[in-house]
Amino acid sequence: MNAQELRKAAKEVLPSVDVVIGQRAGFDPLHAEPCFATKPEDVDDFIASPLCVHNLASYLPSLKGKKVAVVVKGCDSRTVVQFLEEGLIKRENVTVIGVPCSGIISVKKVLERVSHEPIQSISFDNETVTVKTNKREEKIPLLEVAPGKCTTCQYPNPLIFDVLVGQKLEPRGSAEAVYDDIREFETKSLEERKEYWEKTLGRCIRCYACRNACPLCVCQESCIAETRDPHWMSQKDDPKEKMTFHMIHAIHLAGRCTECGECERVCPMDIPLGQLKKKINMGMKELYDYVPGINPEEKPPMYVFKVEEDKIEEHELS
Amino acid sequence: MPELAGKELRIVGFLCNWCSYGGADTAGVGRFKQPTDLRIIRVPCSGRIDPLFVVKALINGADGVLVSGCHPRDCHYSDGNYYARRRLEMLKQFLPFMGIDGKRFHYTWVSASEGQRWQKVVTDFTRQVHGIGPLHEKKEAAK
Amino acid sequence: MTDKGYLPQDKWEPFIESLSNDFRVYAPCEEDGVITFQVLEKGKKVDLSRPSTSAPKGVMFPQSERLFSFDFKKAPESPDKMAVELDASTNMPETVIIGARPCDAKGFLTYDRVYLEVDPYYRERREKTTVVGFCCNGPFAGCFCTSAGGGLAEKEGSDLFVTEVDNGYFLEAITEKGKKLLGRPMVEDGASHADAASKKQEQASKALQKVIPGDPEPRISREAFESDAFWDEVSAKCLSCGVCTYLCPTCYCFNITDEARLEGGERVRSWDACMFHHFTLEASGHNPRGRKAMRLKQRVGHKFLYYVDKYGTIACSGCGRCIRHCPVSVEISGIVARLTEGAQEDQKAAEARS
Repeated sequence: MNAQELRKAAKEVLPSVDVVIGQRAGFDPLHAEPCFATKPEDVDDFIASPLCVHNLASYLPSLKGKKVAVVVKGCDSRTVVQFLEEGLIKRENVTVIGVPCSGIISVKKVLERVSHEPIQSISFDNETVTVKTNKREEKIPLLEVAPGKCTTCQYPNPLIFDVLVGQKLEPRGSAEAVYDDIREFETKSLEERKEYWEKTLGRCIRCYACRNACPLCVCQESCIAETRDPHWMSQKDDPKEKMTFHMIHAIHLAGRCTECGECERVCPMDIPLGQLKKKINMGMKELYDYVPGINPEEKPPMYVFKVEEDKIEEHELS
Repeated sequence: MPELAGKELRIVGFLCNWCSYGGADTAGVGRFKQPTDLRIIRVPCSGRIDPLFVVKALINGADGVLVSGCHPRDCHYSDGNYYARRRLEMLKQFLPFMGIDGKRFHYTWVSASEGQRWQKVVTDFTRQVHGIGPLHEKKEAAK
Repeated sequence: MTDKGYLPQDKWEPFIESLSNDFRVYAPCEEDGVITFQVLEKGKKVDLSRPSTSAPKGVMFPQSERLFSFDFKKAPESPDKMAVELDASTNMPETVIIGARPCDAKGFLTYDRVYLEVDPYYRERREKTTVVGFCCNGPFAGCFCTSAGGGLAEKEGSDLFVTEVDNGYFLEAITEKGKKLLGRPMVEDGASHADAASKKQEQASKALQKVIPGDPEPRISREAFESDAFWDEVSAKCLSCGVCTYLCPTCYCFNITDEARLEGGERVRSWDACMFHHFTLEASGHNPRGRKAMRLKQRVGHKFLYYVDKYGTIACSGCGRCIRHCPVSVEISGIVARLTEGAQEDQKAAEARS
C-alpha cells in the first residue's frame, strides 16, 4: 500500500464528490482513524498501511443523498457490493477507491505481543511489523498480529472499484480453510459450547458497539435491543439478555454478513462475535451456495426462495 | 395437566392460523390423545415467525419449540412458508453452535384436515424433547 | 491506631484473600485478555499491570439494579380485586474495591455530588464500600489525568492508598474507613517506608505531561462550544455506540424500566448513554438530540460545562478509557483542548496575525 498514490487518486476524485473517506493517523502510533476529507489538504493526511483497520464502507448508508468517495480494502469492498445487492446505496452516488490489502493489524494482538507496554512507534516493511515500546523493540510477521480474517483472506483485492491503487495480490490459504475455526469449535460438546458462550457473552456490557459498527445492521433506531414496544428485551444485566441479543444480531445477518470483522474489532470486551456470523455464513454457503458481497446482481438467500429447495430436507422426529 | 405432574416440560408451539392451528383443532375435535406439554401461540402465517420468537422462548424458559405451517405450495399468502423454511432451517443449524440442542426445535407442515398427523407430530416432538430433558433448571422453569 | 502501614510482597495476596472473609472484594482480574473489576474468588488473581478495560463504577453504580419488585396477587375474598405487593428491601454487603487507580477513585466523587444526598441505593453502597486506590504505574495510551485536575499519585477518592515500594506495599490511610483496614492482621508499621513512598509518588506525578491547557482543570469557551460546524467535524466518524460512556468512571446517566411479567416484575435502573439515539427520544417521536453531533456535544458539554456550572468542577478524571477503547478513536482530550479558552485565544491571535 502506498500513501502517495492513494492521496493522488483521492485528490483526483475529490472535485467530483462531497467527501472522500479515508484513514489518517489517530491519537497514538497504533491507531488510525476515519478521516472525512472535503479539502485537498485533508487528503494529505491519508495513510495507507496495515493500521487502516476501519471498514469505511460502513458510513455509506448514513451519507445518503451525498456524493461520496470511499477508500476500501478487499474485505471492505464486499460491504459495498452487499449494499448494492440490498439496494442500500446508489451506485452512481458512490466512488470506490480500491486498495489491495496484504493484511491489517489487530490492535489487541499487537498490545498482547508487547505485554501492553505503551507503544512508541510502529512501522511496516514487507509484511513485517516493527513495534517499539519504552522497553523493547519487536519484529513480528504481520499475519501473527493480524485479525483472524486476514490469515485466510480470500479477497485481498477490491471486488468493486472505480479507481484501483496498487498491485493486485493473491488470496491467502485455501477457501476451505476459512471456516476451519468454526469446524474446530464444533468438535466441542453442546455443554462445552454453551458454557463457552455464557462465559464470553457474559462479559458483554451492552454498549452496542458491535451493532453500531456493523455495516449491515440496518434496523438502526428500531433495534430489538432497545424498543420498548414490543418489549423484546429487558434492560437487566442478565446473561440471557446478552445471549438473545447476540444471537439475533447474528441471525439478522444471515446471508448478509460480509465478514469484515468490525463487530469483533470494536468490542471492548474482546468477545469473538465474528464467530457467530461465520457459522451462519458457512451454512448459507452449504445450503444456498451463496457468499455475501460478491456479486451486486445477486439477491441474499433470505430475500428469495425456491419452491423445491435443493438442500433442505424435512426433519424426522426421533 | 396433572397426568404428568412435575414431569411436564414446556414446549411452545407457533402455529399458522390457516392450517396447523386448524389441524390441532381437528385433532381436538376428533379426541385424539395428545401430550399436554405444548402451549400454542397462533400466528397468521409461518412466514410471520421471526427466529427471535424461537430464540427468546428457548432462552427464557421453554424446553422445546415447535413451528408448524402450511405445506409448501399451500400457503394462504402463497409464499410465506417458503421464506419461513429458509429462515427456520438456518436457525436450526445455528442453535447447536450456541450450545442449544437442535432437537429442541422442530419445524414442519400440517394442514387443517390433518388431525392425525398433528397428533403424531406433537407426540413425537414431545417425546423427542423429553428424551433430551429440561433445558432450564427446575427453579427457573417453575417461575 | 496508625495511619501508615506496610505489607511485604509475600503478604499482599494473603492480605487480600483475608479481606474476602469479611468483605465482598472487587479487584481488576484478567480473563481472556480483558481486565475487568470482578468479585475476587479463589483462583482469580489481581492484575494491576495495566488499567482495567472498564472502570469500577459498576460496584457503586451497577449496570442494572433492582429498585423494587412488585407482585400482583388476587385477593381470595374478592377475585375481581388485585393487590400489589412491593418489596424495596436492599441487602448490600460490606465491600472493598482493591486496585482502583487514582482516576477510578476520583470518579466516585463525581457520583457523590449527584447521588449521595438523594439516592438511598447509592448511599448505602457508598457507605459500605472502602476504596483502596494505588499509585498508578502509567501513563498508558490515551491517559490525560493530569489535564483533568488529577494525577498518577492523587489520593482523592481513595480511603486507603497503596504505593508499591521496597519490595512491598506502603499503605496510607486517607479516611477512617481506610484506617480500619490498617488494623487488620499482617499489616506491619509503615513509618519507615514513608519516605520511599513519597519519592515514588513524586516520580509518578511527573510521568505525564498536561495535554490540555488550564490549571488545575480545563475551562471550555462557550462560544467555541456552540459552533455546529465544530461538532459536525469531530463527530463525523462517531458510531454513536456506548463504549465511551459505559467504560467511563464518571458517566452516571441511567434509565428506569419496569421489567414486568403477567404476575409481577421489577423496576430496574440500568445504565444508559447520551450517545444512544434512544436516550432522548420522546414519546411523540420527536428527538431533540437526533443527530450524533448533538449527542457528542452533549457528552463533552455535560462533563466540561454543565457539570461545572452545577458542582464547580469537571466530570472527567482523565482515565483515557473512552479514547483507548473507542472503535474510531474519538479523542475527548483533543476535542477539549481545541475548545479551551486558551486555545481559542491563541487561534484568534494567530488569525489576527495572518
